[in-house]
Amino acid sequence: MTVRIAIQREDFNLAEEYEWLRQISPAVGAVVTFSGLVRDFESTDGARNAIDSLSLQHYPGMTESLLQEIVDQAMQRWPLLGVTVIHRVGKLLPAEQIVFVGVASQHRAAAFEAAQCVMDYLKTRATFWKKVDQNGREHWVESKDSDQVARQRWAADD
Amino acid sequence: MIKLLFFGRLGDVACDAPKLIEANTPAEIRDLLAADFPELGRQLREPQVLVSVNQMIVSWNQPLAAGSEVAFLPPVTGG
Repeated sequence: MTVRIAIQREDFNLAEEYEWLRQISPAVGAVVTFSGLVRDFESTDGARNAIDSLSLQHYPGMTESLLQEIVDQAMQRWPLLGVTVIHRVGKLLPAEQIVFVGVASQHRAAAFEAAQCVMDYLKTRATFWKKVDQNGREHWVESKDSDQVARQRWAADD
Repeated sequence: MIKLLFFGRLGDVACDAPKLIEANTPAEIRDLLAADFPELGRQLREPQVLVSVNQMIVSWNQPLAAGSEVAFLPPVTGG
């Protein structure tokens, strides 16, 4: 089992991340990757507002250990061969890549489910905070109940 | 002394708050801060706000050792 966790300002390369997961073992039969992008709008109370940029803050040290815990939990639940989690911090513009989760396993079901589970926990547990810049006015993003609901479907053995 | 960290929106309301304090529990720190910074105190009392000691989420009554790092964490919004 091979794990790579990175919190970085720099962008990541999807093809390189895929190749890394693919070469982990000849037993790899499935690679599922998810990339999250910065949208150019924010929905607030049903209204759609354009945004200029996002700024990502995190708690260095704690974020890495929480992501490791989330990955460990997924490894106990599914037979995984490799997991990569990359999260960017700092200022990001619309359409930029912000987060990557990649999972390699022998069969597709484990990879699909584990990738989704890791993302759902990342959104609700990992210590990142987003600030939106809208026409020079900044505000912190509020957490969404729908993210909590998404995580709870994995919570049977939480 | 206890080192204090405030993340997300809490950082904005805590800009004038002390970053070092003497206290026995996170709850005591919250009360001390609330006395001088009512808006910060109000936000720290929101049930969704979590507290960590040395990077582990703990209860508000966790006893603190000198030199600990206490962080106040509003709901996370990464991903």
